[in-house]
Amino acid sequence: MTDLGLSHPLWLLAWPLTLALLRYPGRKGAPYPAMAWLPVDPLSRKIDRLRRWLAWAFLSCLILALAGPYLKEQKVARLGTGAHIVLTIDRSSSMNEDFSGYLSGNAKDSKSAAARKLLLRFVEQRRQDLFAMVAFSTAPVHILPLTQDRVAVRAAVEAIDRRGRGVTNIAPGLLMALEEFRDRPVTGARVILLVSDGGTHIDQDTQERIRQRFRDVGARLYWIYLRNPRSISVLHPPKRNLSETTTPEYFLHRYFQTLGVPYRVFEADDPESLAAAIDTVDRLENRPLRYFETIPRRDLSAYLYGLGLILGLPLLLWNALEIRQWFAPKR
Amino acid sequence: MEEFHYRIPWRATSAHPGHHRSRTEGGGFEFHGHASLATGADPRHIDVRASLSDPFGEYQVRRFHQTSIVPVQVIADLSASMVLGHKPELLARVTAAIAWSAYRTGDPFGFVGIADGDTPAIHWPLRRHRSAALTLPRRLSEQPFQGEGLAQSLSLNAWLDRRRSLVFLLSDFHFPLSRLQTLLQRLQPHDVVPLVLWLSQEWRPPARWGWLPLHDPETGARRTTWFHPGTGSALRLAFERRRRQLTELCRRYGRRPFFVVDSFRPEALSRYFLESCA
Repeated sequence: MTDLGLSHPLWLLAWPLTLALLRYPGRKGAPYPAMAWLPVDPLSRKIDRLRRWLAWAFLSCLILALAGPYLKEQKVARLGTGAHIVLTIDRSSSMNEDFSGYLSGNAKDSKSAAARKLLLRFVEQRRQDLFAMVAFSTAPVHILPLTQDRVAVRAAVEAIDRRGRGVTNIAPGLLMALEEFRDRPVTGARVILLVSDGGTHIDQDTQERIRQRFRDVGARLYWIYLRNPRSISVLHPPKRNLSETTTPEYFLHRYFQTLGVPYRVFEADDPESLAAAIDTVDRLENRPLRYFETIPRRDLSAYLYGLGLILGLPLLLWNALEIRQWFAPKR
Repeated sequence: MEEFHYRIPWRATSAHPGHHRSRTEGGGFEFHGHASLATGADPRHIDVRASLSDPFGEYQVRRFHQTSIVPVQVIADLSASMVLGHKPELLARVTAAIAWSAYRTGDPFGFVGIADGDTPAIHWPLRRHRSAALTLPRRLSEQPFQGEGLAQSLSLNAWLDRRRSLVFLLSDFHFPLSRLQTLLQRLQPHDVVPLVLWLSQEWRPPARWGWLPLHDPETGARRTTWFHPGTGSALRLAFERRRRQLTELCRRYGRRPFFVVDSFRPEALSRYFLESCA
């Protein structure tokens, strides 16, 4: 009962007026002096009484609906089984490019669109996992806490092919993603799924901090590397011309390998890499996680309006069948 | 101006010469008997034959009944139930016809209109109103019809002339029969002609089917009834029954009622009087 609330409780002040309806039923009707000679009809009287109560219930419904009842927001305990995956997604302007490295006008070809397609399939196949989402470009944006709400996760993933802007700044994004696991019991495998098209140089201090944080929370790192043909493959790097400025991806890969947590990279131009990523997550051992999900408050007035409609239709019918006048009015 | 002829089956008592048979002796044509000239009878009417055959040898004089006036009084029900349709106009029309006929016959006319309260809403005492037939309808059209009218118990006799008179009782008689009975008992000294004003609409509902919310303009009672063809015929039967009851009750107290339904025909009222005084 305490879960119910009213958004405009002042409307309830009008409710006592509906009681008057039971006592004083509206129109007086046509004047007729010989009422005593009308045939006695108990059924009519009963139906008339019913009509009054119906009108009362109808008005009460409307007033209650105007008062705007709602079910308060509720925390629902959920049991999540499966891995805890933080999707960490690159939203920098380079994600707008297509895989040939050019900005094409067609948003369907962009890397972010490819990432979206990839992640949708991933999310679709990992039904029992909990997902969180962090997007980053120059600065990270916290999008979704860990949840099993498929609708929210899908919506979040579907929104990542919007136009990205800014530069690729991975370190704050990773830190925010790691923040997601802080102060939570370890009940499932922790995975940070990094989706990015390139790397940046991370300075030494930050590298240390990230390494430390990864060890603290015990998360795995999977990097889905959206590579365009002209950039290097981190799995099969060329033997020469490797430097921090021209091929930061490779050095990032090297750094990730030194994190001390399980790490894998998947190159997205390889169609089997997604299946491999899913397989990898599948093999992780998970325990159930109890967590609370907040359900937004629900407006209940629509139900009352519907009830009012149902109650009002017989009244309309009655009104249509009512005879208004018997004798012509006095001039 | 509508006019009808009325007659009374009893003898008037007034000394004023008028149109109706009277108990008073005077210059008329109705032979009443003989009297001795010594009693102060009019010597112009000495009956020679009767005088000759009188054993005492006195002069015998013929005596006659004169014709006299009869007070005509109207008691009209101006209650709220009379506002239906064109009933007020009907009431005014009948009243005007009575007033005009009374004037034409040479009889004094009085009017008592009962609406609400202890006193009549309109009270015109008995006199020879030459213009009553013209002014009374106008006065009635200004009068708000309200209250319970004749249905409330009221000492009507205080407002009527004490002499026996022809009293027209105008109402729709939509009140209990017991009330009508006490009313007629109180009006016993007079010759009461009940005029029942009804509209045929009253037993003809405006539609064959439908809900009809009704209220009684006098008591304020409300009722909503489902009307169907059966209700209409039941209502018609109820009015027929009421008509029989009214006729039976009023006949016990003198005259049968005269029903004015929808329109007033003065010649029908004339026939009514002819039949009642055959």
